[in-house]
Amino acid sequence: MNLFKISIANLRDKKLNSFLSALLLTLGIGMISLLLLLNKQLDEQFKRNLKGIDMVVGAKGSPLQVILSSIYQIDAPTGNIPLAEVNALRKNPFVKTVIPLSMGDNYQGFRILGTTPKYIEHFKVKLAEGHLYNASMEVTIGSKVARDSKLKIGDQFSGSHGLDSEGEKHEDKKYRVTGIFQPSGTVVDQLIITRLSSIWDIHGHAEEGKTPTVGEMEHSDKQTHIDAEPDEEGKEVTSALIQFRSPMGLITIPRQINDNTSMQAALPSIEINRLFSLLGVGIETLRTLALIIISIAGVSVFISLYNSLKDRKYEMALMLSMGATRTRLFLMLLIEGVSLSVVGFFAGVIASRLGLWVFSNAAEDDFHYTLGKFALLPEEIYLFFGAIAIGVVAAALPSLGIYRLNISRTLAEE
Amino acid sequence: MISSNQLRFAYSAQKSFTFPDIRCNDKETLLILGQSGKGKTTLLHLLALLLKPEAGDVVIAGKSVKSLTPQEITATRAKHIGIIYQRPHFVSSLSVMDNILLSNYLANQKEDRQKACQLAEQLGFVDHLSKKTNQLSQGEQQRVSIARSLMNNPNIILADEPTSNLDDDNCQRVIQLLKNQSAQIGASLLVVTHDQRLKDEFSNQVFL
Repeated sequence: MNLFKISIANLRDKKLNSFLSALLLTLGIGMISLLLLLNKQLDEQFKRNLKGIDMVVGAKGSPLQVILSSIYQIDAPTGNIPLAEVNALRKNPFVKTVIPLSMGDNYQGFRILGTTPKYIEHFKVKLAEGHLYNASMEVTIGSKVARDSKLKIGDQFSGSHGLDSEGEKHEDKKYRVTGIFQPSGTVVDQLIITRLSSIWDIHGHAEEGKTPTVGEMEHSDKQTHIDAEPDEEGKEVTSALIQFRSPMGLITIPRQINDNTSMQAALPSIEINRLFSLLGVGIETLRTLALIIISIAGVSVFISLYNSLKDRKYEMALMLSMGATRTRLFLMLLIEGVSLSVVGFFAGVIASRLGLWVFSNAAEDDFHYTLGKFALLPEEIYLFFGAIAIGVVAAALPSLGIYRLNISRTLAEE
Repeated sequence: MISSNQLRFAYSAQKSFTFPDIRCNDKETLLILGQSGKGKTTLLHLLALLLKPEAGDVVIAGKSVKSLTPQEITATRAKHIGIIYQRPHFVSSLSVMDNILLSNYLANQKEDRQKACQLAEQLGFVDHLSKKTNQLSQGEQQRVSIARSLMNNPNIILADEPTSNLDDDNCQRVIQLLKNQSAQIGASLLVVTHDQRLKDEFSNQVFL
């Protein structure tokens, strides 16, 4: 026999009341926990891919769309821009690197991205096996592409037109896999990367003569040499990632581009902040809702203990007459509240993981992003103490009556 | 052994009681008879140290309780006094067995399951030990509360109207059990009642 056993027996005796209180806590904690998880992981994903990219240029349209399509590979691109204009940016003294991107095809939903080796350098991804693509129509694939599509080195496949897997296939031209990247946790994991010229070849813009021949390839022992500064007349790309040499670039260049070229400049920091502030309204609402639910859970614990104490007044007086101290009984009632909190917290944490799992599956199907991190967050430790505090307060308020209970009168009243 | 000395208690200026002195030695029994409103329960609560008298003293097992602190009073009650109430009350979420063991636990004594089983056997509810208390009949409940009061081998057993809600058969049974059990452990048995059926069962009587 101990206090804990009596408390649990009391909770079990009022199953529905206990269930309701624990359920409300579970809901509230679960929602907050899920928000914390999503927020953290989305934030990480966004930050990791954003790192070092100061500006994106693309066709005129929604700047957010340019960012989403070029950096995160989740939205459709706005259109094409002339490669000549992109290359003109290299001459600007404030510009450090220009990474042209060309997209438009996919394989099983994974985007095929034509770019320069700078792109791979930028994300610091390393090869797991094989070697980097050399020639046109050679590709190196991200770790998730390799895992999900079962493509191996030497395999050939044809891409589909557009950005979803139902697009029309380019049956006549086949890509060949030459290497697989190590997992990096960046957008590269879900990309099939190739030369810019592959994309031109596929879409028939390229003139045969311009495609590098095998002989040329043998000269290029340094990878950076390939496609390093492609500048071909009349060619188009989808967008370009720009790094500045100094923050001064940020002030002058976007304006120049928007005013003087057919392209538009989008600043990732601004656009992502805008995106988060749009999402933020929803997240804030959900968080408020979760806090309201948790408060209701606290009130529910309070009411259920208050009611049961009214019924159990005689029981309390009896236990006091049998030698229990008031503090002991007070503790017993606190344990009832705290037990509900603990149950609610753990059920909530488990529920949030289930929620994340469902969300992650959906995100993976739609965007190929993985959000599978289920470890306990530091914030959840605070959440735990918060839940305990709610249990303690909700149980303590009605239980203080124990200290005012008149044993003799209560026992005599019956 | 329990005795009282010029006990007086007042709920208000109009409602005050002065009680005759009471004395009940070990192994003895005492019946306190009185009509409603005569302060029977008040006297019992004074003797059980649940109320503090306005004047007078109670001596339990040879010790005056006048100078004890509230903690000591609680400990003395838990250790020396077994109380049986008019309506048997229990911790409703616990089983019969746990309710009996509760008196060990709350008095900080070792839980004596064997004794609980023994008492249940003697008092005739051994089959009900794992049930909840509200599944038992009134007579059975009263017998369980007798067992509960005996668990710490008290020096004094105080019973407040233990038979008033029982029929004649159960009344006889309960009072015999009370007398037997208190004799077994050598305790003083003090019964407060208005139940005239008990008049012939006790040789020592006090009228309020």
